[in-house]
Amino acid sequence: MSARLGPVAVLAIVLGIVFFLTPLIVTFAFSLWEGGDRYGFAAYRSLVGDPDLWASLLLSLRLAAETMLLGMVLLVPSMIFVHLKAPGLKPLFEFIAALPFVVPAIALVAGLSALYTGPAWLIGTPNYLVIPYFFLALPYAYRAIDVGLSAIDVRTLTDAAHSLGAGWGQVFRLVLLPNLSTALLGATLLTLTIVMGEFTFASVLLFKTFAVYINDTGSSKVTEAAALSLLSFVITWAAMLGVLLTGRNTTDLGGTH
Amino acid sequence: MAEGGQDLSPAPQAGAAARHGGAGTVPALLARAVPWLFVAAFLAFVAAFMLAPMVTVLVQAVWGDHGPTLAYVRQLGEYRYATAFANSLILSAAAAAVGVVGGGLLAYALLRPGAPGWLRSAMTSFSAVAANFAGVPLAFAFISTLGTLGLLTAQLKRLGIDIYGLGFSLYSLGGLTLTYAYFQVPLMLIIITPALRGLRAEWRDAAENLGATVWQYWWRVGLPVLWPSLLAAFVLLFGNAFSAYATPYALTAGNIQLVPTEISNVLSGNVMESPQLGAALAAGMIVVMTAVLLVYWLAARKAARWRR
Amino acid sequence: MQQTGGGARGRRDWLKLGLAGLAVPALAALPGRRAQAAIPDALVAAAKKNGGLNVIALPRDWANYGEIIDSFTAKYGIKIDSANPDGSSAQELQALRSLKGQARCPDSVDVGPSFALIGKQQGLFAANKVSTWDSIPADMKDADGEWVGDYFGLVSFAANRSVAKTMPMTWADLKKPEYKGMIALNGSPLGAGAAFAAVFAAALANGGSHDDIAPGVHFFGELAKLGNFNPAKATPAGLVGGQTPITIDWDYLSLGYRQKAQGKADVTVTIPEGSTPYGSFYCQAVTKGGPNPDAVKLWMEYLYSDEGQLLFLKGFAHPVRYADLVKRNAVPEALAKELPPAAPYQNVKFASQDQLAKAQKVLADLWPKVVKI
Repeated sequence: MSARLGPVAVLAIVLGIVFFLTPLIVTFAFSLWEGGDRYGFAAYRSLVGDPDLWASLLLSLRLAAETMLLGMVLLVPSMIFVHLKAPGLKPLFEFIAALPFVVPAIALVAGLSALYTGPAWLIGTPNYLVIPYFFLALPYAYRAIDVGLSAIDVRTLTDAAHSLGAGWGQVFRLVLLPNLSTALLGATLLTLTIVMGEFTFASVLLFKTFAVYINDTGSSKVTEAAALSLLSFVITWAAMLGVLLTGRNTTDLGGTH
Repeated sequence: MAEGGQDLSPAPQAGAAARHGGAGTVPALLARAVPWLFVAAFLAFVAAFMLAPMVTVLVQAVWGDHGPTLAYVRQLGEYRYATAFANSLILSAAAAAVGVVGGGLLAYALLRPGAPGWLRSAMTSFSAVAANFAGVPLAFAFISTLGTLGLLTAQLKRLGIDIYGLGFSLYSLGGLTLTYAYFQVPLMLIIITPALRGLRAEWRDAAENLGATVWQYWWRVGLPVLWPSLLAAFVLLFGNAFSAYATPYALTAGNIQLVPTEISNVLSGNVMESPQLGAALAAGMIVVMTAVLLVYWLAARKAARWRR
Repeated sequence: MQQTGGGARGRRDWLKLGLAGLAVPALAALPGRRAQAAIPDALVAAAKKNGGLNVIALPRDWANYGEIIDSFTAKYGIKIDSANPDGSSAQELQALRSLKGQARCPDSVDVGPSFALIGKQQGLFAANKVSTWDSIPADMKDADGEWVGDYFGLVSFAANRSVAKTMPMTWADLKKPEYKGMIALNGSPLGAGAAFAAVFAAALANGGSHDDIAPGVHFFGELAKLGNFNPAKATPAGLVGGQTPITIDWDYLSLGYRQKAQGKADVTVTIPEGSTPYGSFYCQAVTKGGPNPDAVKLWMEYLYSDEGQLLFLKGFAHPVRYADLVKRNAVPEALAKELPPAAPYQNVKFASQDQLAKAQKVLADLWPKVVKI
């Protein structure tokens, strides 16, 4: 077995690192520009001191958590039950999971706005965004959980648990969810980054999420724009690593143990 | 695609029923209904918030001020919009291809036993962020790097290489593909890693023991096992590139006709407003994506049959 | 015509219109000399009772809206919620439709003239004639009072002088090889108002007219062929940072960017010479059934008072009551010094709605065929 990286692998990794880091480095260099020949961290200082940045960031993180929660409550049990009891419905679920690709975000938000104009407690608060966000994350979350479900033998596990006297609640909590943890973690991470990066819905529905804040600042203030791009990248990466570290089972997304 | 067996397991249901005091009692029926309630709730949610708006858009595309009309759909045949669809298809296919090849190779490289673990974690978490880094920041970064007056362009010119003189332009379909690669490749990395891990090392060992070269292994074993996942990944990347809007708009300001930017011109622009035309364009996107998904579904079914 | 920032020769013309600048502060101080009525206290009280004001798509650095919002709040104590500052006119109308009846619905909008017409047709606006209505020129307001122009501007060139060593002064100058890859619009001409105006302005400079935008499209086609046209979206970041060093944009935007860039980059702004300037105005409209009806009336009164109009002027956007302000010598000398020469602004004619609609069609059809990047 080749324990060394082949030349193709090395080339791929090196090219990858160069390609991904170069634009970031250039943006960083630009973000330090303070006009003329001066360089410094003034842009970062002004950003960190801006309360709007923290407000929008917290909003986005909160929406990400709510979307993940909705996914756990609505998607995961349905997928498990379909897997166990109604495999005939699986093609329907596959179709639904592919639907969000078919409809562009701009059209979906136009359709949603035309159809639903109330109640105010739902439409008027940013929590309304959780609905389109759920669908945006659906294809990726579905695939991640599907891979996880296929990898473990759900039927045997549930049969065994039931024959030992467990009810559905216990089966879920004590048997299925722990075994699906890597798949769920993958789904969670993907949802997080999708919500953090989503712009169209939030902007049209006039909510001030992090991506909206980036866009608003990015077109007006010069060096702040570059600094903000980098900050957003770093903040999202940090959030991701945080979630990864708390689910310390493996170092990769999806897949089996 | 899944073709599973039937649900023929009376044991757990009998067990549950026995615990709840005999089959047929109300608590037992309730316990049996709960799973279906979850499924029904999910389907209802999808119908209300995904299907209904989609239908609204489709209806709006063919409904004028005086009743049903194909006028807006016919407008899609105009030079501007036909070019937009052509450009979008070419760009999405190219970006998906680059993503599949680039991301696939990178994922493969990172999963090799020789690759350091920290690099793998770093690239994986990086990929999840980069996959959503599209939009104004990405365009700004690329313009600053490879634009006509970008940093890298200037440095290369100092070394004597004028990339724009040689025909490269960031503001072309090629340049857009390169920019798209920044979020396509990471997405591919995330998607294909589980599938690549499914390629057992034992198969590689067995192949090598039987005298197969690297190419033969991939051609006979690796790719055939992987190719349904590769196809699924291609479709995902295609859809992702097809609906990308913020990045191409910031990069080319809609001067390369693409369907999402055309939609935004008529739905959320500052010069004109035409909701029905926007709906028609969106309907066109829906048709294209449905066709792509159909091709994928047919191919995947063939693959599943082969695998059994 | 000259570049801005002290063109004494051009300003002498309009200074001749009235008394010397020294007299202005003295005149303003005389009681009873003001031509406009004070805003009634009852309106102010009712507005305060509304509790707030919702506005949309008003960037802080666009026509000095930042200062206008701040001084309104400071003067009347009414908090303003400014949503989606980068929103487009279409998004503003969309917000009115989707947020109808909700507390978050914008109380007023600031949209392009085509959209003002669409909004009126769709019944989105409430008629509201401010107290200074009569001093607003007829071609910038709706006869029924459902929309009214607030400020207008002309198409201008802005250049970052550390990248573009010589300033382009005419449309023909843009074709010079030294500007390769430098010239950008702030969006697609079919989607961005300033970009659309730029094409129209190019048309006026190359044998076209308000009825014929085609020469403008051909001009940009040539610019693209020469490699001078940079298709990236021009932003203040790009102008100052050098990614899009020459931008064709509204004068008030260009001048605002120049002011903000002081200390960071040297930006010069000019109205193109040697051709009829192209201008357009934006329109204010009050939402029908908005959540804060009295506050929005006060907002409108403020915008169209001398104070509000002069704040627009401070943001380099010529207010619709400019002619009236000049006639009454209400423009402070210090402010007048900062403005570009007055001649192009006095003679500007705006395209009619029909001409705009026709031009949009021609543009949509011709642009992808002619402008290849």
